[in-house]
Amino acid sequence: MENKRQSMFEIFRGFIAIAIAILVAFILILICADDPGKALECLLIKPIISNGALNTKSIFTILARMTPVIFTGLAVCVMFSANQFNLGGEGSVMLGGFVAAIIAINIPMATGAHVFVAVLAGTMIGGLVMIVPAVIKVKLKASEMVCSLMMNYVIMFAILHFLNNKFADRSKGATQTYPFLKTAVISKMIPGTELSWGFLIAIIATVIVAIFMYRTRWGYSIRMIGINESFSKYSGMKVGGMIVLSQVIGGMLSGMGGAIEMLGRYNTFLWLDLPGYGWTGITVAILAKNNPIMIPLAALFISYLNRGCELMSIYAGVPAEMIDIIQAVIFLFFAAEHFLSGTRQKIVVKDAKEELQKKELASEGGNA
Amino acid sequence: MFSQIIEMIFSASFGYSIIRITSPILFAALAAVVAEKGGVVNIGLEGIMTISALFGVLFAYWSNSWIIGVIGATAIGVLIAMIMAVFALKLKTDIILAGIAVNLLGGGGTVFLLFLFTGLKGNTASLTTPNMLTPKVNIPFLKEIPVVGRIFSGHSVLTYVAFLLVILVWVLLYKTAMGLRIRAVGENSHAADSVGVSVMKTQYIALAISGALAGLGGAYMSMYYSQSWNIGIVAGRGFIALAAQAMGQGQPVGAMLASLLFGFASALGNKMEGMQGFSSYLVASIPYAVTIIGLVIYSMSTIKKVKRFKDNEK
Repeated sequence: MENKRQSMFEIFRGFIAIAIAILVAFILILICADDPGKALECLLIKPIISNGALNTKSIFTILARMTPVIFTGLAVCVMFSANQFNLGGEGSVMLGGFVAAIIAINIPMATGAHVFVAVLAGTMIGGLVMIVPAVIKVKLKASEMVCSLMMNYVIMFAILHFLNNKFADRSKGATQTYPFLKTAVISKMIPGTELSWGFLIAIIATVIVAIFMYRTRWGYSIRMIGINESFSKYSGMKVGGMIVLSQVIGGMLSGMGGAIEMLGRYNTFLWLDLPGYGWTGITVAILAKNNPIMIPLAALFISYLNRGCELMSIYAGVPAEMIDIIQAVIFLFFAAEHFLSGTRQKIVVKDAKEELQKKELASEGGNA
Repeated sequence: MFSQIIEMIFSASFGYSIIRITSPILFAALAAVVAEKGGVVNIGLEGIMTISALFGVLFAYWSNSWIIGVIGATAIGVLIAMIMAVFALKLKTDIILAGIAVNLLGGGGTVFLLFLFTGLKGNTASLTTPNMLTPKVNIPFLKEIPVVGRIFSGHSVLTYVAFLLVILVWVLLYKTAMGLRIRAVGENSHAADSVGVSVMKTQYIALAISGALAGLGGAYMSMYYSQSWNIGIVAGRGFIALAAQAMGQGQPVGAMLASLLFGFASALGNKMEGMQGFSSYLVASIPYAVTIIGLVIYSMSTIKKVKRFKDNEK
């Protein structure tokens, strides 16, 4: 039985994990920054407060950068809940972005409809490609993990092929497409910032996924399969279908994230490598403990750190890649079930003793 | 064009490049085999290879000796695998998540570490000296034989180590008490536990061996193949190795054959890149696509086998 004290402990343990990660960051900064004080200020404070005033532009950037990560985080949430270690988020994001971009450039449509169709196409294609690892898993019992990892590379090279040989704007120095038509650009929520309406869609998606996972039969099946596949099978759930469904939903969410990021942040397709949101999505899902509602919060945290690392590399010369080390440390400690297990044990024992005492008191009271 | 390809495939230089490209995948595939046999999925191979590749170069640079570099890379491989093991086995982090964390470290973490140790950004090309690269070995007698000599002689010393390790890993797994324990733990940890085999200790050992093998693969990448360390140096080879392990039915020799298949696909891609009418990007995706197809074919054959077995039982 989980009681209040034990769930408090879970939260406490999460904070310790994060604290350790930040501590590691401190140590790394102390070693490699010329001016550690300034570097720390860039990492922790500058993302929101700059020169004694609220750094609104930076705050909106943090919120904007949350958008794709919320989508991939939700995708991982759904897939990992069903115990499907599909790591194809990267490929789905890139493909969703690419397909949306191609539609945004080449197929003129009315305002409103254009964005809708482009994002829908990105979403669908993201889900479509994830059918491959899912079906291979269900029908052939082959690892969805290996298959989805390989697909990331196949998708990336295929996109690079089409980008370079069909859609590239040769008048530009860098490899990129022609600019999106005006009708396909997702407008900014607050003009002059990076924050687009895509952010709102991400929040809505969070609510929908949360309802799906906790208030529908399919969502229940997906979670049940993750907890005990054999039980689900013998209680009559269509396990195979649900496994495919979970991965297709994951692919769709990733594809949608890619499409929205593409049309909301850029005005031309310029990704020449896997964008990395798929992996960040895994970190976010772990921080949120696979609970969809917690995903935006986790995304905010990672986005904040990301922005801090970015500022640190600009103003203090510490490479922005430090974020990966911080993420890795959080990852390891956060997911460690037996981390601080000694303390947990003590709490459980203490609770049990108190309960016993209460019972004894109650029975004594009854006797008297 | 077709005859051109056929001609190319049957040239000695093509055979040479297959072996050259196969070597790092083979190291990692063997690493995957040992871990998998011990019942742990080492998805961190990609990260271990990248980190070892970096430290191989750094150790070689600091000592001006490739041997120290290779030893250093191997040691770092073991170290990272042990960190993974502590989290996965002792603190019960899901082993796949621990592997992903290691891959994160390999991704951006290496860039940071490189800057930390040398102040360089992104690659170590400026550090490379001839002493830091693993030497090529010309095998006496063999190199005199026409064609065969050109295919099998003149590779990096690590290439020969890789193929030798196929035998060593096979001996380890199937002919030693330790190998038996590793397989027993992988097959059924409760049964192994009940006869007094320490599951955790055995898995620690399996992961350590796995890390060492992946470390050697990393050393090969940076101290021979690319001649320096750069971002994205491993380029999915650690993941391909996982597939090679699966396709090779978890056997060292099978993994070697699967690795050779990828070597063949990559070599073909490399050669076709220069030809007219082929997209270099699509060609670059061949090894990954072959992996998926190979996995499908292998899984289909396994399922058929199981079915036939069941039919016979009836």
